[in-house]
Amino acid sequence: MSAIRFDIDQWQAWAPGRTCQDDWSSWACASQWQDDPEAQPDVSFLPAMQRRRLSRLARMVFAVARPLAEGQPPMPFVYASRHGETTRNFALLSDLAEQQPLSPTQFSLSVHNAIVGLWSIFQSDTSEMTAIAAEGDGLEHAVLEAGMLLNEGAPAVLLVIAEESPPDAYRPWIDENTPYALALRLTKGNSWQLQLQASEDLAPQPHEPHALQLIRALLHDHSQFTHHWKTRKWNWQRTR
Amino acid sequence: MSQLTLEIKQLIIDALGLEDLGPDDIAADQPLFGEGLGLDSVDALELGLAIQKRFGIKIDADAKDTRKHFASVDSLAAFVSASRAIA
Repeated sequence: MSAIRFDIDQWQAWAPGRTCQDDWSSWACASQWQDDPEAQPDVSFLPAMQRRRLSRLARMVFAVARPLAEGQPPMPFVYASRHGETTRNFALLSDLAEQQPLSPTQFSLSVHNAIVGLWSIFQSDTSEMTAIAAEGDGLEHAVLEAGMLLNEGAPAVLLVIAEESPPDAYRPWIDENTPYALALRLTKGNSWQLQLQASEDLAPQPHEPHALQLIRALLHDHSQFTHHWKTRKWNWQRTR
Repeated sequence: MSQLTLEIKQLIIDALGLEDLGPDDIAADQPLFGEGLGLDSVDALELGLAIQKRFGIKIDADAKDTRKHFASVDSLAAFVSASRAIA
């Protein structure tokens, strides 16, 4: 079976209490990790008028994407989130249930591609912007999308996967409660390869978002790991 | 500053997420849209909704005068007072 090949030129991640590479290194070495669920990513680089409407999810995306885009030419953006702006959506649905008028701001920013739209405006970048809502293997689907953009000739692709903690009402149905965002700048190359393999067995429930496993691999130079989601086995391999 | 003017300024700050501003940063006669405070069309809708909710008045989005009422804090205060007097 064929594989997607690429380089991870640079990466950046944010989660409450983990804002720089040193934080992520200590996290990767610790078996237990305490964090502050209320922590906010730093987006002070945004003008106040543009910052004010951003949800924490959008702020996380901007905080990790910005350092990778700074000083770079325009590049396509692939954004993946399994649940997206559930906090905004739940607020809208609650207003509807109470027969209250809907907030135009909440409404316009609740759609899945709102964040990449804001990014495009902020960066004045008219490159292709994609928003994906996949299952637990959204990261791999985003890499697949990015791989196709590289194959079409894009010199680099910015990929961000991000998840916000869901509103309390949804928690019983959502396994991933860890807020995080990971940005990768992907370029053409052979350092990494990703291969999909069909599997007969169903995957066990993951205990942390899979993208965090990639962060561990990036920090520790792991050469190989597998992400098994439902009947799909994604084999990640670092060739150099 | 009248109580109503202050209330409208605070409503603008809260409803539109102008977290860096205080009531004193908005002049009562300053244009809210375009050149002045720099609000945009989504803000216009959001502010209209907030005014309706807070003061229990009805705003006709298509009425000729609506644009005039939303020009500044002063004109909004005059509009709210007048609408309350009718109701």
